Amino acid sequence: MPTIERKAKKVNREDLVERLKQDFTETEKVILRRRSVRLYKHDQVPEFMVKRILEAGRFAPSAGNCQPWKFIVLRDPSLINAITDDVVNICDLLRNMVDYRKPGASWMRPMVKFNTRIRKNDLHPVPFGAIPMIADRKLGLWHGAPTVILIFGDKRGVSCPELDCGIAGQNMVLAAHSMGLGSCWVGFVRPAFDYMLKWKKYFGIGYPFKFLSSIAIGWPMGDPDGMVARQTHAVDWYESGIKHVIY
Amino acid sequence: MGNFSLREFFKIPDYDNPNELSFGEIAFDETKCIKCGMCAKICPGAAIAFDIRPFMKPFPENQCMFCGCCSAICPKDAVIMKKPLIAKYFYKPIEHGDIKTPRLFTD
Repeated sequence: MPTIERKAKKVNREDLVERLKQDFTETEKVILRRRSVRLYKHDQVPEFMVKRILEAGRFAPSAGNCQPWKFIVLRDPSLINAITDDVVNICDLLRNMVDYRKPGASWMRPMVKFNTRIRKNDLHPVPFGAIPMIADRKLGLWHGAPTVILIFGDKRGVSCPELDCGIAGQNMVLAAHSMGLGSCWVGFVRPAFDYMLKWKKYFGIGYPFKFLSSIAIGWPMGDPDGMVARQTHAVDWYESGIKHVIY
Repeated sequence: MGNFSLREFFKIPDYDNPNELSFGEIAFDETKCIKCGMCAKICPGAAIAFDIRPFMKPFPENQCMFCGCCSAICPKDAVIMKKPLIAKYFYKPIEHGDIKTPRLFTD
């Protein structure tokens, strides 16, 4: 049995700071290189690795240490495909209800825009564009990943249980990438739990649990992790009585 | 209303109007590209087509959300990230800055 050190080794702070100026830490590299992987190999991920990923989620911080999550691991391709098929069918229906860009559908525009204003998160341009793509199977749901972790939140959690589940999920995603696996957050499964009783029943999910998101995990095809460019955001910085805005 | 005018708060952009919703923009460095086609294969928005060499599809099919998957998977660093997805009115970006790769601040 390998020995595991409970505590990190003590390092002289000056040395540490000097070293930080040379390069990112290993943890930072995992964070900065993590990309959502949407091309997976068929080989299954070893069981112990998935258990280690769940362990990273178990030790995530949560409000009042209430740990308001429930994880369900799917490793049966038949089950993953059955849920995918249902989501594809729902997206096919939704497309006919919302896609006003199709020829002859412009009469739906005012109604869809009214709906968009109400369901602003579900009908944002990106998911709006994804609905027809999922319906046409141009965009996979779990992209052929052999392992899927479904994340359910306990509605009775302290403060904001959704956030705590997100933190646990991010822990799991980063753990997966540090092991050389690929992962992708997939929230589009929600219709299968929102609009169908079938899957709630199948998994025995009821109050107080609520479906929040899912994570696809598998061996990536090619080398999809890497640093990329993206937009900066304004950060207001208050120091010595002055406000700076940094980017 | 904070960052919004009343009009912006209630107006949802037309998703089929390039003036109100413009998708992301990337470019390919022809001198570095080895034409492996991985960028087109990985793109979740089906925004990249591959025909001898990769190129961005025109507006209606282009669903680039500027995720950077193409840039990350490119073995030769030939993808140039140019402009993110920008919607107007209700979905306008607030206080976004330039496009930058991870920075190692040292001072």
